[in-house]
Amino acid sequence: MEMQSGSVTLRTGRMFLFVAGLSLVVAANLSGQIRNNASPTGTPRATALKDFTGYWVSVVTEDWRYRMVVPDKGDYVDVPLNAEGRRTANAWEPVNDQTAGNQCKSYGAAAIMYVPGRLHIYWQDDNTLRIDTDSGTQTRLLHFGGSAPENLAPEWQGYSVARWGEENEPIVQRVGGGGPVGQGGPEYENQLPVGNTGANRQDREEDYKPVPRNYLKVTTTLMRPGYLRKNGIPYSGNARLEEYFNRFTYAGQTWMFVTTVVNDPQYLIEPYIMHSHFKKIPDGSGWDPTPCRVDEPR
Amino acid sequence: MRFAKVDWKMKDLWLLLPLLTMLASRSAWAQVDLNGEWSPRIYNDNRDIGDYTGIPLNEVGLLRAESWTPDQDALPENGRCYWPADLGLRVAPSQLYIYQELDSATQQIVAYHLHTAWLDQTIWMDGRPHPPDYALRTYQGFSTGKWQDKDTLVYTTDHFKEGFLTRTGAIRSSKAAVTSLINRYGNILTITMIIDDPVYLTEPYIRESSWVYAPNQVTATQHCEIPAEGTLLPAGSVPSFLPGQNDSLSDFAIEYGLPLESALGGAETTYPEYIKKMKTMKRAPRTTTTHYRRFG
Repeated sequence: MEMQSGSVTLRTGRMFLFVAGLSLVVAANLSGQIRNNASPTGTPRATALKDFTGYWVSVVTEDWRYRMVVPDKGDYVDVPLNAEGRRTANAWEPVNDQTAGNQCKSYGAAAIMYVPGRLHIYWQDDNTLRIDTDSGTQTRLLHFGGSAPENLAPEWQGYSVARWGEENEPIVQRVGGGGPVGQGGPEYENQLPVGNTGANRQDREEDYKPVPRNYLKVTTTLMRPGYLRKNGIPYSGNARLEEYFNRFTYAGQTWMFVTTVVNDPQYLIEPYIMHSHFKKIPDGSGWDPTPCRVDEPR
Repeated sequence: MRFAKVDWKMKDLWLLLPLLTMLASRSAWAQVDLNGEWSPRIYNDNRDIGDYTGIPLNEVGLLRAESWTPDQDALPENGRCYWPADLGLRVAPSQLYIYQELDSATQQIVAYHLHTAWLDQTIWMDGRPHPPDYALRTYQGFSTGKWQDKDTLVYTTDHFKEGFLTRTGAIRSSKAAVTSLINRYGNILTITMIIDDPVYLTEPYIRESSWVYAPNQVTATQHCEIPAEGTLLPAGSVPSFLPGQNDSLSDFAIEYGLPLESALGGAETTYPEYIKKMKTMKRAPRTTTTHYRRFG
């Protein structure tokens, strides 16, 4: 009787070891898949960690007077412009943009999420998430995988590379830990950004296998020079845009939050961080396509 | 014989399976590290009296805002010692220090603490319930949180005393609840606050702010002194404007060439189609267009 019981237990023990081993394999595989940012077999569309598709409307609860109206010339308070940036902003004349056919300068990639309006987001193909805007009738293409092609001509919306977020992504920091620069004043002229780049970053990337996160990171380069706001606050053709898309459902309503970081040493003392949020709407009702305009907020 | 003796233990081993699986995949589920010093990148909070733009105030909320005068800052209960997080984190640029509190026995996170020069907020992570309705209300409220989608710390704060949304009088009631999201995007920390107030707001009021990781920073300790009642203002007095008597209310709209109505907030003003509506609205003649030329 005891022997029989022992035999049963032995089989149970072996089964336990088998299932435990299987669990480890499955878990390791799961962990590896997530770490690699996509299933090895699935397309970005099929393996998207969050769904941003659909229609969205911007809800302007902050920076209202910079977004819902055209701010006055020279009103660049809170943007960390350097001296060249201020000179350029002070020289802004909307009629010049109109004459030169540059009406879309304030609808470029660095500004378009900040311009009040509606978005339609959908997969153009398995690797490309597309954002259409009714304000300025712009189209952004977020390319999953790869990098910006060489010798591509700059466009208002530049070239965007998308991927799901990773832990401890390095960004440029500035010296010191005080309050915000933010005032655009000459007293901050010598407060230059320092790059947390080069060997330090490389070492960290080599030593550290990042754990993926569920937000969408979009990096945009190859932009034509444009405006951060409607009143001629400049960003240059060398600007690099980093955007972080996230979504959250609150009280039955789905929201999309976008944190935008503009890196532009030509005109900015430090990276400028902007925010915008969008409410999901059921369809395209209210879609109001407008051309690029130099004298309208959208 | 031996196997017979360990029969019960085998059953226990089965219970270990889920734990084993969790440990194996631990790296995939590790939460974001929020701890450390964060340097603020908080812009645009220089609101004037009469600037309630973007705030979905209802009629009562607007009436309360209109009644506010700067003298109210001299009231002991409005001193900066009491700034709640939904005001202080947004309008008062300050370094931010976040640290977690661990249970010494289990090493599980019991709470996160947010410390700035103006406030200390505790976010309980141990699943404790919110206090009953009759419990003491405080300026910081009571916060509990949990991780969502592996990358977002979501916490809800309620049990507030009445407080302000802005430093120029837009009010938030004691019945409000604030749902906050903390996201770390590399070395950027973004805090999103969704303020829901059934008394003074018609829609959720959303605010976002960011900080940058600054390991060498040292956040200041909190210093504040509450003036004794009667020292700055006569004891018992609460300065305020009666309805229709706030003579500063339209200054902001005139200076920026806005229709007065649009500057006073309301949910309708926060949607893009309001831009078209504003074209048909009356506005007073402008007095200046050079408000921020001081650096130019």
